[in-house]
Amino acid sequence: MTYYLTTLGVYAGVDIIACLALNLQFGVSGIVNFSFIVFQAAGAYTAAVLALPPDSQNGGFQHYVFGAQLPFPIPWIAAAVVGGVLSVPVGLVVLRHLRVDYQAIAMLVLSVIANLVITNARPFLNGAAGLSLVPQPLSDRFNAYSPTYLWAYVAVTFVCCALVFFVSQRIVKSPYGRTLRAMREHELAVTALGKNPVVLKMTIFVVGGVIAGLSGAILVGFITIWAPSTWLYPETLILFAAVIVGGRGNNWGALFGAALVPVGFEEATRYLPQFGPPGLVPALQWVAIGLLIIGFLWFRPKGVLPEKPGRFAAATPVVGARLTKEPGVS
Amino acid sequence: MSLYLAAFGFGLVSTSVLAIAAVGFTMQFGISNMINLAYGEVMIAAAYASYGLNNAGINIWVSLLGGAVFGSVFSYLINRVLYAPFQKKGTALIGMVIISLAASLMIANVLLPIVGYYSVSYRQNVGPTFHAGSIALTGVQLAIMGLAIVLMLVIHSLLKLTRLGKAMRATSANPTLARNCGIPTRRVIDTAWLITGALCGVAGTVAGMNSDTFAVASGAGFLISIIAAAVLGGAGNPYGAMIGALLIGEVTEISAAAFSPEYKEVAAFAILVLVMVLRPQGLLAKRGTLAAAG
Repeated sequence: MTYYLTTLGVYAGVDIIACLALNLQFGVSGIVNFSFIVFQAAGAYTAAVLALPPDSQNGGFQHYVFGAQLPFPIPWIAAAVVGGVLSVPVGLVVLRHLRVDYQAIAMLVLSVIANLVITNARPFLNGAAGLSLVPQPLSDRFNAYSPTYLWAYVAVTFVCCALVFFVSQRIVKSPYGRTLRAMREHELAVTALGKNPVVLKMTIFVVGGVIAGLSGAILVGFITIWAPSTWLYPETLILFAAVIVGGRGNNWGALFGAALVPVGFEEATRYLPQFGPPGLVPALQWVAIGLLIIGFLWFRPKGVLPEKPGRFAAATPVVGARLTKEPGVS
Repeated sequence: MSLYLAAFGFGLVSTSVLAIAAVGFTMQFGISNMINLAYGEVMIAAAYASYGLNNAGINIWVSLLGGAVFGSVFSYLINRVLYAPFQKKGTALIGMVIISLAASLMIANVLLPIVGYYSVSYRQNVGPTFHAGSIALTGVQLAIMGLAIVLMLVIHSLLKLTRLGKAMRATSANPTLARNCGIPTRRVIDTAWLITGALCGVAGTVAGMNSDTFAVASGAGFLISIIAAAVLGGAGNPYGAMIGALLIGEVTEISAAAFSPEYKEVAAFAILVLVMVLRPQGLLAKRGTLAAAG
């Protein structure tokens, strides 16, 4: 029971972090990052190979690069760095000249191809079988299977959540965040005002990549396994569903959506009786995710918690006052 | 050397399959201004429709016709029920691409419980093998190439010689202006989806005929090659898609011979990246068609 609850807690925390990052990219800035899961995976793989001992150990049953066996905070930090560094070339190719739906398909293709390459290139990250026996952080000093450790891990996850939420809020409320929203609404107008949309997009893309990498590190430290089948491209769509349902552009919405869609959905369907042929329930789950996205975009495109419209204290009364003073206007 | 010649031969067959698919895909983009990410899954669904007929004892070429009709009606319905209403509502490109990916996922997962996870293959007589140097192709493969050439000629005549084709090109270039000139754009778009859907259905079935087996999971791989071919040629341009198909088809097969067949799609991806960096508007498109509009 403890294990179940703590697993749920870590998954919830990781999904929240991921949704916040995706909200910064997609909700606030309008970048359709269909390869989001690749950056999470990059973080997870980095954290895993840096924490794992050299691959000749454990009988050499899995093959991977590095195997540096570094102490706790380094793999997580490296994961965040790799998530950010990987975002640079991807962003430079995708975000510069392309129309928004081209950006989306480019990243979708990237997501499929990255998975294909990692699956087939076995010596690199152990191919389709994936990495297992990834040491938990500080497991050399604590018993990683004791309830205290598990709950502490959940606590650390939620501290990271809070940190990411704080950073996201600061970004959204800053002048920079305002410029991002303006760019999302009208890129040409922002360019005319002297802002460089490529720089704006690249920055938030890298920030999102850093957070995505961190989320992967947190997840792999807890579940201790990571394989290509866990980061197929449809996984990104679940996060998109969460952000759309929660409310694009609103961090509280991303929080709510993460709790509702990836966490609530998976858990609710776990208790459904298995019916029909094997594989029917997961298939229907995907259909439901699709319906959820389409339904929300049709009936409530702003989501459950819509982004708050910007209010500018000085502007409204002045315009109103002038209108009421001039009788000829009406 | 003979290995590469043989790969070149297979590349011609891949090109044929890809050309049929990519022309349909790029025409949908041209006429509806949206990227239909469900295209690969509709191909698979049509391939299974043909499989159903074929499995019931009907000749594969007659089943192919059934697959074409299925793809046609299915694509028409997707546009009429899903895409067109959203576009009419004013959903931005960013929303449309998410909707089409969601649609793709839904089609795949409705299909899975119906047809199962296992690969299937058609009951067909591949005919005698023809040799030309080290190129060896079966009768079916040659027939697919012939079919592709006929279909390309039909599309060319449709676009250039008929009133409907003219109306399609006008709608693709500027829908508002076309409507103001008295072209019934809605009906033109509906017809275009029926035609491109038929191409999609044919492409799905011949892809299944060319490869030994196919499964629901093949859809994503199809889509990558199609996107690469369409973008390479210049999205929205059917002739560009034909050239793109030729390049992508040959490069994937020859790289499969040179390296490993597992990385077939990686070659397509590498070309896609190069195109997106160097010439995002594609080989045959006018400059500026893809500029990041505000």
